[in-house]
Amino acid sequence: MGIVKTSLLSLLAVPVLLAGCATPPPRSNQAAYEAYRQQNDPLKPANQAFYRFDNVLDAYALRPVAVGYSHVTTPAIRQHVGDFMNNMDAPAQLVEFMAAGKPRDAGTTLVRFLLNSTVGIGGIFDPAGALGYRRVYTDLGLTLAGYGVPEGPYLYLPFAGPSDLRDAAVLPAGLFLSPTAAAPPSTGLTIFNYGSDGLGVVNTRANLIGTIGNIKKSSLDPYATFRSLYRQHRAAQLKTINERDIATPPAWYPTKERNAMHPRPYGAP
Amino acid sequence: MAASFRRVLLGAFAVLPMLGALPATALAAAPDATTARDFIKQSGDQLVSIVNGPGSNQAKSAKLRALVDRIVAVDQIGRFVLGRYWRVATPAQQQEYLHLFHQTLAYNITNQIRAYKGVTFAVDGAKPGPEGQMVATTVTRPGQSPADVQWVVDTVGGAPRIVDVVVEGTSLRITERSDYSSVINDHGGEVSALLDAMKQQISRIAAG
Repeated sequence: MGIVKTSLLSLLAVPVLLAGCATPPPRSNQAAYEAYRQQNDPLKPANQAFYRFDNVLDAYALRPVAVGYSHVTTPAIRQHVGDFMNNMDAPAQLVEFMAAGKPRDAGTTLVRFLLNSTVGIGGIFDPAGALGYRRVYTDLGLTLAGYGVPEGPYLYLPFAGPSDLRDAAVLPAGLFLSPTAAAPPSTGLTIFNYGSDGLGVVNTRANLIGTIGNIKKSSLDPYATFRSLYRQHRAAQLKTINERDIATPPAWYPTKERNAMHPRPYGAP
Repeated sequence: MAASFRRVLLGAFAVLPMLGALPATALAAAPDATTARDFIKQSGDQLVSIVNGPGSNQAKSAKLRALVDRIVAVDQIGRFVLGRYWRVATPAQQQEYLHLFHQTLAYNITNQIRAYKGVTFAVDGAKPGPEGQMVATTVTRPGQSPADVQWVVDTVGGAPRIVDVVVEGTSLRITERSDYSSVINDHGGEVSALLDAMKQQISRIAAG
């Protein structure tokens, strides 16, 4: 899901930053100033412009394609496409978990990648999940977050959607962690990259048809709603990773000490 | 990033129509895990039997609204969603706001019944959270991936009530608060702007 998004992104990133910033309310108006600070969205005018741009693009291009796609696919097919995309992300996530100092999750990711790429026929199936190695998620933004890098101001990226300064800054780096980045360049590979990126986008959008429609219909300010959802979700992802990050006591430790090292029983979420 | 964000959205809005929006802190202690679990199990069973049961959408919708009033602390959620503007609002505005809030919820329920035909759910467990007991459930709709949904149950008016819904770490009441406060902020802190927007939305939904 990287190349298309990121190359377009870099083209557009500069004008975004040059486009208008929101004017903060005067500090004398304490309530308004506090509200502005809490929103943490100083580029709001530019962000909203891109939000509208993405909406138009979605209404005339992406959504119609996704609707057609969902008519010719079943949920099971879309699930397998999703599994395939997730498997393609696994090598990058292995590196990211190791860089973040999360050996348990790194191990899970490695086992999943090895099993799903082979037994799971290139990741189309998820036999590792059935064996109890459930998918764990991370990305470079979360790795940085684990080191205490703050999220920074909110960004809405054309083609890529909700983000923040931290997550957007590492988007290009994520490209180099994709397994296809390591392969020698060839026309076939390029076609595969664009094809799988495109399929991933359409597959994701197809699964979201009802959801996005509902958000837009039921919220008074969809832009603010997506912003809130994005931030809450990122915070929750980080929390999940940290909660899973427990020490592995050596097998020869007494039970009492093993339990003391584990605030919660093994295997509990 | 996109894939997991998708899951949040899917989950969060799978339950939005059931709850509409979201709660306030209660002074009473949160119910214990068993009480909360049983409460969610019973409430969910009733909800599922209405949605999947016989009758016109109109009849179902009336039954669902009555059920939601019994199991969800709608007023408390409404106050939470308005946040610090609750104190800014005049008593008349507060009344009108709560009325509109109930109405929005009712319309959301009516609109979503068909999408939830065939829904099933399973209660997975409960653990204490900062806002009350967090009861974990798995909600499955035909043709959709199962969604992990957590219901926050607190004691309101002496009985267990749902005060929030959390999906993939996103709280519905917090999301709703961001939405509403953004409207108020964009209109110079005027609560009346929010009331107008809510009225417009209701008439838009009512018009189909």
